[in-house]
Amino acid sequence: MSIINSTFKNLQKNKSKALITYTVAGDPDLELSEEIIEEIINSGADIIEIGVPFSDPMSEGPVIQLAHERSLKNKTSLPEILSLSKRLKKKFNNTPIVLMGYFNTFINSLNSDNNFHDINDEICEELKNSGVDGLIIVDLPFEESEVIFKKLSEYQIDLIRLISPTTSELRINEIINNSSGFLYYVSLKGITGADISSYEELEKRVQNIKKITNIPIVVGFGIKDQQTAENMSNFSDGVVIGSAIVDMIEHIKTKKTGNDFAKLSKFVGEIKSSLQ
Amino acid sequence: MKDKENYNFPDDAGRYGEFGGKYVSETLMSALEELENTYENLKGNEEFKNEITEDLNNFVGRPSPLYFAKRWTEKLAGAQIYLKREDLNHTGAHKINNTVGQVLLAKHMGKRRIIAETGAGQHGVATAAVAARHGLECIIFMGEEDIERQSPNVYRMKLLGAEVCSVTSGTKTLKDAMNEAMRDWVTNVDDTHYIIGSVAGPHPYPKIVRDFNSIVGVELKDQSRALFGRFPDKIIACVGGGSNAMGIFYPFLKDNSVDLIGVEAGGSGIETGKHAAPLSDGSIGVLHGMKTYLMQDESGQILSTQSVSAGLDYPGVGPEHSYLKDSGRVEYNSATDEEALDSFHDLTKTEGIMPALETAHALAYAKKIAPKLDEEEIIVVNLSGRGDKDMANVAKVEGLTL
Repeated sequence: MSIINSTFKNLQKNKSKALITYTVAGDPDLELSEEIIEEIINSGADIIEIGVPFSDPMSEGPVIQLAHERSLKNKTSLPEILSLSKRLKKKFNNTPIVLMGYFNTFINSLNSDNNFHDINDEICEELKNSGVDGLIIVDLPFEESEVIFKKLSEYQIDLIRLISPTTSELRINEIINNSSGFLYYVSLKGITGADISSYEELEKRVQNIKKITNIPIVVGFGIKDQQTAENMSNFSDGVVIGSAIVDMIEHIKTKKTGNDFAKLSKFVGEIKSSLQ
Repeated sequence: MKDKENYNFPDDAGRYGEFGGKYVSETLMSALEELENTYENLKGNEEFKNEITEDLNNFVGRPSPLYFAKRWTEKLAGAQIYLKREDLNHTGAHKINNTVGQVLLAKHMGKRRIIAETGAGQHGVATAAVAARHGLECIIFMGEEDIERQSPNVYRMKLLGAEVCSVTSGTKTLKDAMNEAMRDWVTNVDDTHYIIGSVAGPHPYPKIVRDFNSIVGVELKDQSRALFGRFPDKIIACVGGGSNAMGIFYPFLKDNSVDLIGVEAGGSGIETGKHAAPLSDGSIGVLHGMKTYLMQDESGQILSTQSVSAGLDYPGVGPEHSYLKDSGRVEYNSATDEEALDSFHDLTKTEGIMPALETAHALAYAKKIAPKLDEEEIIVVNLSGRGDKDMANVAKVEGLTL
């Protein structure tokens, strides 16, 4: 069983829901992002999503766009992010690590031979050796990635798919058949950090998907506080918090100076407690 | 090119060989499907075709003339140079050929809001014009840097009733305007149609934009039969995203006697790295929903580009061009800023036609090869746009104030 699967099993046993956090690697720098992620795990996060910065993050709202820009100012690269993942895995071997990013960085920064190719054995091995349990590639629909999905599953790396409010029933079935780990339900039509408009519709959609699959479903985009997290967790298997955390990180300049670290861990702890 | 007789791209997956595809977030997949279905259902429909033809004739002013550049030909003392006058279209460039068609698709899909990205402003103006004509809300995304470079077009868009949204993220140019338009689209996908202005982006855009622009090549076939009794020897067009080039090349792809030449923006020179020529000096990657040649670093981050012309200042290129480059059917070259400016002046002074700086890149290449060719040979340059919008920019480059 993959660590992602066992994480959801354990949560179920404890009648709790998953708290998945998103931060961008290298924001504000790699060393600090490692400390920030450690703090977040110690405060109760169940699964860690590490954002891989991209020059053109098309699905991101302003808060996360700026985090990508800050990270790229430091020239944060995927090989460095994999080392970060490796170090984290050593310290927290039960916490799943998921990389989230855009297709181009995955295919163009891990090649030894400079020729374009899909995610191949070489890349999979590198991901596996770095403790990466799953990938979320925002701009890679299932139509473009059947081969990649199979390749990743040979290495027990989950390819986590997004389902959105505009996804048709037909596509939902296809997506379920081509995904593993968990499903990421995008709560709104829009970019990260926007506002959720209709809870009822959301609940209905998620429940309908749960009827046809056993893969856990988490809800993300637009979850900013305890109340929203609690509401979402009533009908899903967990929530993803991104922009709200990234917004706090923007103010962190050094480790444990001021209240920023304390504020962040308090926030994460409170969200987690609302999911119990 | 192998099996040129069977050229039939894109395939069902929206691919041109290995290029193209649909690399977008899940939220947009349904909108792309809706667009594809609408287009495939309507494109053979007589009523729809008549609607477009009527707009092309009476709103755009087609067909555009094929003009013999007599004095420039004499000056260069080589091949005969003809210009396909897309600059004479309503709103001053080939861009309107596409927007006239796409706005009708939007209406058929029941969308009331139109968005578009623009670099030089020509696509923005062409979109604003059709939105005004059909009474639709229109928002144009434009990089902050381009707003400065192309201020007359910004005002034109506003006069046409469009809202011009300044994009301050990333490099503040065309690629960032496209990112921002995608973000708007994903947010307002129910009532909004995104009119992409080039043969770029996810399938079906490269195909739709190519098809709507193909009227240029179709007319050129008729005009060259009538005028020369044969097809031209060479057709030259500038390539940023590549819509004017695709429009004039596409009907000639199977006519192997016609050399097709695309000219990218060489900026300060390919060897300096400061340019916008992914086909000449790029590598394969995925951006804006398509797999294609890109300007990127070794980490897959998109590089900022450099060109005197805002319309060519783009790190990617339409996927069909990537295919045509690799297959060898089209030859791709580049012209530097300096060469483009030089030809801008040449054509203005010699023929009384002021070309857009984008177009001037194609002219620069014609100027380079014409003297080496026999006077029996015929070169057609796609004069994709007029240069009025560039006057302030040219003056600035040359240290003048207007």
